[in-house]
Amino acid sequence: MTMLLTQSEAALCEAAQRVVELAARRGARARASVRHEGIAKAAMRGGEVETAERSGSQNLSLTVFHEGRRGSASTAGFDKAAIERVVEEAMLIATYVQPDPDADLPPADGLAFSGPAPQVYADSPRSPEAMLEAASALDRIAGGIAASDTRLCAGESVAAATEGLWALATSDGFCRSVLRSNDARWTVMLAQDEGGSISDFCQSQERQADALSSAQSLTQEAADRARRALGARAIGSRRCPVLFDPRTAATLVDIIAGALNGVAQYRRMSFLPDPLGRVLAPAHLDLQEDPFEPLGLASGGFDGEGIAGSTRAILRSGVVEGLFLSTFSGRKLGMASTGNADGYYNLRLTSTAPSGDRAAMLRMLGTGLVVTHFQGGKTDPASGNWTQAVRGFWVEGGEIAHAVTDVTLAGTVPAMLNGISTVGRDVERMGAIRTGSILIEDMQLGGRA
Amino acid sequence: MNGGETALERARARMLGPSGLDEATIGRALNELAGRGADLADLYFEATSMRSWQLEGGRVTQGGFAMRQGVGARSVHRGHVSFAHSADIRQGALLETVRAVRTLERSGGAGRDRQGIAPGRRAAAHDLYPALDAISVEDASAWIAILERIDERARSQDPRILRVDANVRATDTTVLVADADGMLAGDVRPMTILSMVVIAEQDGRRARGQAGLGRHAGLEGFDAASIDAMVASATAMALNNLEAIPAPVGEMPVVLGPGYPGVLFHEAVGHGLEGDHHRKHLSAFDGRLGERIAAPGVTVIDDGGMAGRLGSLGIDDEGSAPERTVLVEDGILTGLIQDRLNAGLMNARSTGNGRRQSYAHLPMPRMTNTFLANGRADPADIIASIDRGIYATEFDGGQVDIVTGRFNFTTIAAWLVEKGQLVAPIRGATLIGVGHEALRHISMVGEDLAFDSGMATCGKQGQSLHVSVGQPTLRIDRLMVGGQAG
Repeated sequence: MTMLLTQSEAALCEAAQRVVELAARRGARARASVRHEGIAKAAMRGGEVETAERSGSQNLSLTVFHEGRRGSASTAGFDKAAIERVVEEAMLIATYVQPDPDADLPPADGLAFSGPAPQVYADSPRSPEAMLEAASALDRIAGGIAASDTRLCAGESVAAATEGLWALATSDGFCRSVLRSNDARWTVMLAQDEGGSISDFCQSQERQADALSSAQSLTQEAADRARRALGARAIGSRRCPVLFDPRTAATLVDIIAGALNGVAQYRRMSFLPDPLGRVLAPAHLDLQEDPFEPLGLASGGFDGEGIAGSTRAILRSGVVEGLFLSTFSGRKLGMASTGNADGYYNLRLTSTAPSGDRAAMLRMLGTGLVVTHFQGGKTDPASGNWTQAVRGFWVEGGEIAHAVTDVTLAGTVPAMLNGISTVGRDVERMGAIRTGSILIEDMQLGGRA
Repeated sequence: MNGGETALERARARMLGPSGLDEATIGRALNELAGRGADLADLYFEATSMRSWQLEGGRVTQGGFAMRQGVGARSVHRGHVSFAHSADIRQGALLETVRAVRTLERSGGAGRDRQGIAPGRRAAAHDLYPALDAISVEDASAWIAILERIDERARSQDPRILRVDANVRATDTTVLVADADGMLAGDVRPMTILSMVVIAEQDGRRARGQAGLGRHAGLEGFDAASIDAMVASATAMALNNLEAIPAPVGEMPVVLGPGYPGVLFHEAVGHGLEGDHHRKHLSAFDGRLGERIAAPGVTVIDDGGMAGRLGSLGIDDEGSAPERTVLVEDGILTGLIQDRLNAGLMNARSTGNGRRQSYAHLPMPRMTNTFLANGRADPADIIASIDRGIYATEFDGGQVDIVTGRFNFTTIAAWLVEKGQLVAPIRGATLIGVGHEALRHISMVGEDLAFDSGMATCGKQGQSLHVSVGQPTLRIDRLMVGGQAG
């Protein structure tokens, strides 16, 4: 049973249908999306509550299509006057803009009127009291771990829960809704020695509280990460192999997906022009998309236009097989929607090259850099130039030698993808993305030692 | 005129009236919120409307309108913050929100009930920006014409300009802050952001250029000359980047041009001086007030009261007046950035830097307009002083790790300098350093103080705000440049 929501699924569907109907009376085809979310969150530090929060939000957005033009408007208030204003404003915008033949609702026969809806909600204790309890447990354990090592100091421990409802209605009679849940916990740990202080954290995020990492393992991991980062040194500029741990590897997968997004493609803001059928990466690499994984963090039965995604290959044997398209970006490119109007669903990067667990990956790296954190930098979506400030570990002969900081990595994304020699079996899930660590044979490292 | 009674009038008409609220009701809600001896209790009402127009493929084919309003209720007992917010501000919902805060105050407990809070004290009027409606639909045709002209002008600059995307986004925000000490303050915050991205292509290579203008104003704040300069800047960036060579790697002298590169001081100094990080002893600058952290001649200021700058505030989001805080004076660390909560817990006073993204977020100590003061060097002499290094004029944001003081930012417009001459544009490179080390290596400060064009934003704990950054041209003798050329 939901704990944080104050409105029903039926009420949201009704609101979405009503506003579509109001637009229809003005002669427009329309799509309406109504969202409602409830959040409870507690943050503890040193045995004290820092913040306790209980909040709710809602939003109704409408897009109208009228005489080849479109207009969008949204409101957080659902009263009659606000709804009428939204219809009025959307229609008004459609009188000012230029027509665009690609801006229209998708064909009705492509809509997911029925079809699989993956489970994205599970009951869990989510009251503010439950969050205080969960944050207290983390804080207590973190305090205990810190008390046993003079180098450690426990930072903030946070428990947060979200329940959300989303209803989508269109002029074609589509009306479906989704109930979602999200539970998150994280702990920050500081470590200090004569060389200075460093902080690190560990977090866990799931659709249900039972699936979260235990408070013990979460805080222990945060402490281990902070401790391992002590004694960090700069190293000199060089070319060397680089192993991106699963957390940083997920960011690289996100960059690939970003370049294959329909909007980037039609706006020519992608370093991978006309990518379908092209070799993007070595033949041992596959990237799969799965919208339907039960309790997946990026699962869904349909996108913001009402179109279902599919379980498919984005990269097969290093060749691009799929883009992430909405109806609009698809039309701009002369293709059909892939059901990705809201971005990608769950992604999984795998390799058929020889691979192994973390220890095996360190042996395969041999002598080189393990990247644990991206500290800031940029991917230029047009040129593919990539540059980052990073920290991590220097590895010699497959063993960690020391922590590393104050170094940069730079290259081009296409060259980096080409240089991937394998993906580890040390797979982790970061939001929508599952990947093991990524080993790249040769990169330019910048350092000042 | 803005703030004072002018803004209160607007807030009454826009939020309180339509929701059936008056000052007496707000007083009752505050009574309940302050409850048993709260150290700080406030209500923050906000109404925001937004209008946008988007140009792509040479035509304006998309527009948007959005409106939201709500109230955030906060009470603080000995550092324990309880917070709830609601999109419904009618009397019943307001009292419900306040009660939600009370139920979160598990550790509140003892103390006496406050009674009889009657909002009376008012913030002063200001004229930093006008109390106007920036989103009037009357301006739609003019904005659409401006966007179309941007496309036309950008394309006419060079046949290699392949694509132009531009948009304008105007917001009209009215806020009202009421606290348990009887303060009632309002502010009307018009803002318009015009921005563009161009893609240039040659021989299969693509490059990007971007530029924008942000003002606490509506259409009247955007003249043709500034818009043309923005277009020229974006196209020049794309064309330069088309020719860019790999950036060098290693420690070297770096010259940062005037304006947006001042983000260095926002990252390397400002964030580390926010009161919350000091209260929790997290900042690399903790306990270093009064110490030298930068070279002589380095003076860094945060000033929320500068006319024409997007970080300026008539009142901050806790109702305090903006101040000019000298963070670093002639190289010595002198000031912290405070909101009411952290100042209260540190036995200091607010510096008018309590800011929040919206009613649904808690206020924190945040920067406003943060800049390096002018020095005396001629900017041309600064570039001429470099034997081998880089000259950077635009960055794409920046980050800092508060605990270690390590900062980084990535160039989007930069050149290799050899023997005092700009040799060639270089591809994006990430520059890294540690605040108190890098600032000691500043050896020349120019006399050409300039600010960003109104596009600077600052992120902290998931909350994004508009700020302004600025600096004159300066030279850092040693900074790590992370390019692709080994």
